[in-house]
Amino acid sequence: MIRLLQLEWLKNLSYKPFKIFSVIYFTVLIALLFIGLVDFSIGNFTINLKEQGIYNFPQIWNFTTWIVGLFKIFLGCIIIFSICQEFTNRMFKQNTIDGLSRKEFIFSKLLTILIFTTFSTLFVLFVSLYLGYNYSEKTSFNLVTQEIYFIPNYFIKLFTFFTLLMFLSIVLRKSMFVFLGIFALWFLEQVFNVLEMKVFYSNYPNISNQELVEKVQNEFMWSKFLPLESTSGLIPNPMMRLQIAEMLGGKFSFQYPTFNLVASLLWTTLFILASYWILKKRDW
Amino acid sequence: MEKVLIVKNLTKKFKRVAVNQISFEVQKGNVYGLLGPNGSGKSTTFGMLLSTINPTSGEWYWFGEKGTTPKTLKKIGAIIEQPNFYPYLSAEKNLKIVAKIKGIPYSRIDEVLTLVGLLERKKDAFKTYSLGMKQRLAIASAMINNPQVLILDEPTNGLDPEGIIQIRELIAQIAQKGTTIIVASHLLDEIEKVCSHVIVLKNGNALYCGSVEGMTSSMGYFELKCENNDALINALQTMNLFKKIHIQNEVVIATIENDIAAAELNKKLAQSGIYLSMLQKKKESLESQFLELVKKQ
Repeated sequence: MIRLLQLEWLKNLSYKPFKIFSVIYFTVLIALLFIGLVDFSIGNFTINLKEQGIYNFPQIWNFTTWIVGLFKIFLGCIIIFSICQEFTNRMFKQNTIDGLSRKEFIFSKLLTILIFTTFSTLFVLFVSLYLGYNYSEKTSFNLVTQEIYFIPNYFIKLFTFFTLLMFLSIVLRKSMFVFLGIFALWFLEQVFNVLEMKVFYSNYPNISNQELVEKVQNEFMWSKFLPLESTSGLIPNPMMRLQIAEMLGGKFSFQYPTFNLVASLLWTTLFILASYWILKKRDW
Repeated sequence: MEKVLIVKNLTKKFKRVAVNQISFEVQKGNVYGLLGPNGSGKSTTFGMLLSTINPTSGEWYWFGEKGTTPKTLKKIGAIIEQPNFYPYLSAEKNLKIVAKIKGIPYSRIDEVLTLVGLLERKKDAFKTYSLGMKQRLAIASAMINNPQVLILDEPTNGLDPEGIIQIRELIAQIAQKGTTIIVASHLLDEIEKVCSHVIVLKNGNALYCGSVEGMTSSMGYFELKCENNDALINALQTMNLFKKIHIQNEVVIATIENDIAAAELNKKLAQSGIYLSMLQKKKESLESQFLELVKKQ
């Protein structure tokens, strides 16, 4: 395992996209997490996210993981580029000939993904703790730990997403196609979602919007278990938790997304196995 | 003789049959040429033996063990089609990666770089190298584990004459140490200069596997010249030693049927009053032998 880590280290350390995207990612991350300290003016209306309570325990976990989660694609780019270049430079073939097995190849890429995910998760954890203890209205131990499960959820969300990128990179082998592939997948999921909603609506012709939202939340729907949707469900959009939303009558209800968790874990297993299978079956 | 590689009925079908039921053996310490025109299945065969291509059927044994495992590959050095390295990394870092994969200490890196004369350029990125240097780095990389078998697929492809000579000398140097080498090429004179054995492929079929000398039954031919070529031809015809006698550019060429030493022939001709101004016994070039073999099928 140490050997595979050293191998990935050698491959990535001098790789330009690796340096560029790492710098961008962590710069953006820091900027975003401290966004609450800045006043925004929309017309003559000023919003300060800190005053909206984003740094308050326990919802700070929801806010930080959700915001940072939006920018996972920057780390994803490193994974896409570094895996695709193995194929465009024919290095997978050369590595194989030199004596690296398919299993070791997949495993070394998973190690990289694991390190990125762990690093990003720890980063979010520590920055959230720092921000929370500095700016939260209350910092009792109970409140701090109440929704800390967003951190492991964030870890799984990232890991699943990155294994999806690994899978697409191995299938498509060109980074441009991988980006198109991700977009196509997202698009198809949306279409599927809309279609399923339409069918769902037709079952309840006379129902208020509020009730409908609640029904949709609790109902079993296939589109909730597609790869992108199931990972995004791990960390719901926290904007309804802003104080301004509460004042406007928004109601935030949230149950721990066990189904999404199971779905994500199944997807990531599937992506890893399918990646291995493709490496094995294809002629290089 | 120890057999390094045994191939039995190896077959690969893509949309068409690329390699058809080929069988051959490679003995330790020899230099083998894998001959064949473009598209005859050389690279596909190597691909299967190096585990990058899944065979349709057939089997093979490396060092007596069935198939190709990562462990086997660590005893082999191979260059396929073109030198593959991470373009953004230096030669040294690229070789570190190979050393890591093969489980070889880094101390070997400088040794193999010295062998191919690239030691001074080791800190430069691979993409700044000329084609000849890339090819030499590929050989260095293949040599890093002191392989028992070296596989070279078109090692002189795209090189200038100087580069070709450098690579050829390198191959000869490595062969002297007793390393088994299998080299594929469609440049026959190239193979002729380095190989003791050949495997001939055509349209995915193995036509021949054995020593270069045994490739055809031909014993060679004489090139002769004297004042009166007609008298010479007459004298040769009466000897019943030659299957074909003809003149080419004022030189009489007599293809041998029953072997005779050059000195013996000279003596016989002198006895019949013909004094030669030129006498040479020659073997057919690999090229003509190869063409003969390929034509026959």
